[in-house]
Formats: sequence, structure tokens, C-alpha cells
Amino acid sequence: MTKSEDMQSAPNLNAAAPPFDYNPSAWSQRIPLAVLAGVAFVISAYMALYQWRLIAEVWDPIFGQGTHQVLDSDVSEQMRSWLRIPDAALGAVAYLGDAIYALVGTTRRWQYRPWMVLLFGLDVIPLGIVSAILVVIQGTVIGAWCFLCLVTALISLILVYWAYDEVWATLKYLWRVWQKTKDWRTLWRVFWGGAAREADEVALMQKGAA
Amino acid sequence: MWARVVEVMLGCWLGLSPFIFRHTAEEKGFWVNDLLCGFAVVTLALASFWHPLRHARIAIAAIALWLILFGFLTAPPAPPASQNHILTGLLLLMFAIIPNEANLPPRAWRTYLIEKENL
Repeated sequence: MTKSEDMQSAPNLNAAAPPFDYNPSAWSQRIPLAVLAGVAFVISAYMALYQWRLIAEVWDPIFGQGTHQVLDSDVSEQMRSWLRIPDAALGAVAYLGDAIYALVGTTRRWQYRPWMVLLFGLDVIPLGIVSAILVVIQGTVIGAWCFLCLVTALISLILVYWAYDEVWATLKYLWRVWQKTKDWRTLWRVFWGGAAREADEVALMQKGAA
Repeated sequence: MWARVVEVMLGCWLGLSPFIFRHTAEEKGFWVNDLLCGFAVVTLALASFWHPLRHARIAIAAIALWLILFGFLTAPPAPPASQNHILTGLLLLMFAIIPNEANLPPRAWRTYLIEKENL
């Protein structure tokens, strides 16, 4: 691809995505999210190393032995026999997915790759809420608290809050495409990154502007 | 194409896995699986750089699903080698989903925008 072709094909990648007056796919939105998910990945991987007994101790400045009790609990062992891998390792993969998918795509991916944003949203939002609930349940059921687990649960909730605007802008865009075309095939094609004139027309349309 | 590069690295990891996880001579299934899957992943990821085979990542996703399934075939508690299959499979699946030209709008939109520009 030549340089001029590249420039032509990337018009205003920083357009604001309705219903917001900013661009939720901008790097300034996505990079902090990726960094925070990266922190959660490192913490989870660290706890997984303990569950594998590749390290003997886990750092916990507040609850002392609590972290060991949670990571070695019956609940955790049960999860491990279902999942085959330690629950912290699965959490680490999920946080890595959050970080990677936050970085994939252009700053107008809410329009050009809706599937990518929704996949990212599925990784961040339901998984984040479920894992936060699980951590709290672990604390109440086992009767022990784990400082690093609580940190990752807090990070999960911040990630949900940071990710929601991009997912919402994408869903709104797909909804406008449907309203305009009433055609499942167009909607399906646009969802998977196909181009459609109608989709381009409604992409930047604010509510009430039509 | 950075996701394809990561897949090459994961393929190399699979190829080294029999030596890292010390499969015994009796564990022929593990040996064959790890070496074959590793070779296939590296080959397919590199093949994606050739335009006619740009969709080769779909086959990598299939291998990733196989690795996850293969890891679950052993009864719990899973040996480290099986946990490695599951985790490497999950990572490969995560990357295989990412398009080749992820840092550009999809081809269909690029074509559309160029045509719009030339009208």
C-alpha cells in the first residue's frame, strides 16, 4: 500500500463516536486500559506461580496467611479439577486478553471492526463482573481474605468502567445501521467489518440529527 | 501481522515443550502432539504472510481448540504437560482471532473509502 493510498483510506480516524462527544476508541482511552489490565495479568500470574508451587510464598501486607488460605482453599482446588489449570492462571489469560484486545484495531474500530470491540467487551465486562463477584464470594465462604485477589477484583471493576463507553458506542452504531437498513444481511456484514454506504452515513449521526 | 509473529513464538514454545516438560519415552502421544502442533503453528503463521494463504490463522485457531481439548483429555489432576497444552491453546486462540492487518481498517472499508474519495 502506498502512502497516499494509506492516507486516503484513513479519513478522520479520530472522529467522535455518538452518543459521546469524544472518541472512545482513541489511544488515550485504550492504552491506560491495556496497562492496567497488564498489571492485573502480572498479579494473577504471580498467584498462579504460587498455586503451581513454582514459588513458595505469596506477598500479603494486610491479611498475612489469608492469601495462602484462599489460594489453597477447597473452592480453588475444586476449580482446578474442573479447569485443569489453577484459577489464577485462567484469570491471567483473561487479563492478558483484555490488554491485547484493547490494543487491536484502529482508533475507529467501533465503526470498522464492531466484532473486535464486542469481543473485547465480552472479555472485559461479563468476565470482569463475574471474577469480582467470585473474589468476594471466596472471601465470605472461605472466611479468609487475599489482598492481591482484592486488588485484581478492583482492577476488574475499573476496567469495566473504562471499557463500557466503547462497547456502548459500537452497539449504538449497529443499532443505527439496523434502523436505517432493516436488513439482517447488511447488519451481519457490517458487524464483521464489511463496508456499507448506509453504515458509513449513520456512523457519525448524533441522536435527533436525522 | 504482529499477532502472526507471536504465534510463531508460541509454536516454537510448543516445539520445545517435550524437552521443557520432560516427556518420557513412553509418552509418545505428547511427543507427537507437541512437535506436530508446534511445527504446524509456525508454518501456518509464516504462511499467513503470503497473500493467497492470508487466512491460515483460521487453521491456527483450530489447532488451538485441539490443544485445549487434548489438555482436557487427561483426568485431573492434570500433569504440567497437559496444563501447558491448555494454556498454550488459550493463548494461541486469543492471538489467532486477531486479523493480519489489525492496525488498518478492514480491506472492505479501505476499498470503500478509496472509491468514495474518487467519486
